[in-house]
Amino acid sequence: MPSRLLKGLRLLDLTDEKGALCGKMFADLGAEVIKVEPPDGCSTRRIPPYLEDIADPDHCLYSIAYHAGKKSVTANLATDDGRALVADLAAQSDFLVESHPLGYLDSIGLGYDTLAKRNPRLIYASITPFGDTGPGKDYAWADIISWAAGGQMYLMGEEGKPPLQMSLPQAGLHAGGEAAVAMMLAHYPRRIDGLGQRIVVNMQACIVWTLMNEQAMPFLHGSYLTRTGGFVGSADARRKMVYQCKDGHISTLIAGGMTFGNSTKALIEWMRENGLGSDWMRTKDWISWVPGLFMDMTEQDHKETEELEATIQRFMLTMTKREIYAQGLKRRIFLAPVATAADIAADEQLKARDFWTAVPHDSIGRTLTFPGPFAKLTATPIGSTTRAPRIGEHSDEIYRGLLGIAPERLNKLRAAGSI
Amino acid sequence: MSRFALEGVHVLDFAWVGVGPVTTKYFADNGADVIRVESAARPDVLRIGPPWKDAMPGINRSQFFASFNTSKKGITLDLSKPKAREIAKRMVPWADIIVESFTPKAMRNWGLDYENLRELRPDLIMLSTCMQGQTGPNALYPGFGQLMSALSGFYYISGYGPGSCTPPYGAYTDFIAPRFSTFTLLAALDYRRRTGQGQYIDMSQYEAAMQNLAPALIDYFATGRVLGPRGNASARYAPHGAYRCADEDGNERWIAIAVAGDEQWRAMLTALAADSTDRRFANAPARIENAAAIDEFVGSLTRIHNAQELTAKLQAAGVAAYPVENCVDIHQDDNLEAFGFWHWLEHKEMGPSPYEGLEHRMSRTPGTLRSAAPILGQDNDEVFREMLSLSADEIEQLKNENVIF
Repeated sequence: MPSRLLKGLRLLDLTDEKGALCGKMFADLGAEVIKVEPPDGCSTRRIPPYLEDIADPDHCLYSIAYHAGKKSVTANLATDDGRALVADLAAQSDFLVESHPLGYLDSIGLGYDTLAKRNPRLIYASITPFGDTGPGKDYAWADIISWAAGGQMYLMGEEGKPPLQMSLPQAGLHAGGEAAVAMMLAHYPRRIDGLGQRIVVNMQACIVWTLMNEQAMPFLHGSYLTRTGGFVGSADARRKMVYQCKDGHISTLIAGGMTFGNSTKALIEWMRENGLGSDWMRTKDWISWVPGLFMDMTEQDHKETEELEATIQRFMLTMTKREIYAQGLKRRIFLAPVATAADIAADEQLKARDFWTAVPHDSIGRTLTFPGPFAKLTATPIGSTTRAPRIGEHSDEIYRGLLGIAPERLNKLRAAGSI
Repeated sequence: MSRFALEGVHVLDFAWVGVGPVTTKYFADNGADVIRVESAARPDVLRIGPPWKDAMPGINRSQFFASFNTSKKGITLDLSKPKAREIAKRMVPWADIIVESFTPKAMRNWGLDYENLRELRPDLIMLSTCMQGQTGPNALYPGFGQLMSALSGFYYISGYGPGSCTPPYGAYTDFIAPRFSTFTLLAALDYRRRTGQGQYIDMSQYEAAMQNLAPALIDYFATGRVLGPRGNASARYAPHGAYRCADEDGNERWIAIAVAGDEQWRAMLTALAADSTDRRFANAPARIENAAAIDEFVGSLTRIHNAQELTAKLQAAGVAAYPVENCVDIHQDDNLEAFGFWHWLEHKEMGPSPYEGLEHRMSRTPGTLRSAAPILGQDNDEVFREMLSLSADEIEQLKNENVIF
């Protein structure tokens, strides 16, 4: 059962991979989410990889994950009847989210201005790669383009090798989440005056936000970061973030100061128990050692950092991720395994919190395990979701039930290719 | 009509570092009154994180902190002191929403947990956000976003191939979780409006972040297949990656390109004034199959081009491309400029400094960065006088006792 939080609200989902998460979030909180797709299915039905490499829409993992909890109707936007159906649905919806090329929906009578005339309550969000006014507003897009345009790609990878994207594209997910937030922001004033509005989500800006503290560096420090592989910091003041261990990698960071000093001390003590490390490491006052990542590191800072990092590296190679993480938890050391899907699936914390959720997929004859709710709520908990709909699975239910279209007319629309 | 979407909403913000403050920033930039409760006894670690005004550290000089705390008021209370906790409790009836992001035991130890605070305001909505949630064996895990990004699987899918691990920059998961927390809080606010019922929300940043890896996790549970690092290789596009362009001012420049289908492939070749009769590139499946060879080929073509000019050329031909921008580039980017993304705000101690703007724009009740981040304790006098009717003498006394601190 989804949460009851948004029960009674309806969202029309006309997004592709630039926003599918938005509708999933609404569905998880109990809104009715109707995915509108072409008769042969939305492009998100054909994103590899597929479950068991069976290349059909019902086995598409992206679709399985991000269309869960939604209903699906088909409408052919190339036909007058198809467009009229969507306009009729929008007249009875609270939210509409879309990610078509800019101006496309306007050109076929499904733009905000047209739909809002019939339904002034409508909150209408357009997800765009570069906003709606700049020179790139009509630019061709793929997820890697946002990753590059938002500055994250420049920082990922090693010196001398190309900048990198993650192996599971992320920009569309950030944009979908942002659209969900923005629409709920707009929902709040609507309770007073009953009026909706138009929202434009900017994907490039969404990725810039992931840069954390980096954007202002050029102005305040006169420098900026480059790719440094498993290190953080600039080339001349860097710290190792990633260490190899027996069966993969772990991440930790040595630092001083009030927050990190005790963690560093605990790590050094743990190594001492295993006969590793030098005396200076144990006697150094880590709490007052605060060369920040952008402060000048003295010759001695560099020497000490390198020696300590090399010692940690030797130590980590003697253990597995699981062993290291267990000790880190026990000793309150800032560290984490570089977890694979297998590590995450085995994680005791997630099991203890009943995180994993079984979702029956009668469409493919099996039950799948999903990541559970993104929050635990006391009054309106988010329960398990329902499987992603098949293409057009709810066309009859929605078109008959919501729009009151007679079966004979539905058959005609089908025959004409509008549904 | 309200000028801002959340005018009249009151948020009492005990959060610190990333996820909590970014969550309450959404509220503050959209017109809610957000009061951040901080303490000089244990300052927000971002206050001492870089970058700093003139590269000089100082409690009020960090743009790291400033960026995440626009439009808020700031007060100080040393909550380790009982008197400070009593004052905090007196503010609770004012609050529609309370947000905190300490390790789970902190608010309980102070008697400031939801069970206690709802006595003071029965319809309170309270969000606790921490690394791994309020319950479970690892609830007290001490961490920060970089580690969370490793733990929740993002580091592992970042690299050139098996054995390579080159993580994203920064506390990546800190920029996933706030959307889930803000969305949930706004929905809870609407639910309270309809039902009168408040509630408590326990958010694990770990669990929120994993929503962004759902397909890979579902796949693992079903088939045992583990998604690993694979450089920029794609099953949908080839070429797909970053390609070296001509250097500028001694700095290397790259362009990201993604090509799907024969039409785009031919358009790309034309834009690059090149041709190819290589059989390995004859059709899309072949190109994907031979991604390494195609990367080499495309890289050899882009090397002489200026990244900006080549972007314009490729995009004019309908090919997805963009310069791989660094931190200077994003401030000079025409598209972010047209969106009005960057803001220079006047900060009490830092003077003018650059802030990231909103990632969306609303037509009727647009949010904005209403003020620069507060310096530590900036609004003490005003808040304690106006909200709690404390006299100037009482406030002075509490300052002397380091309660307001």
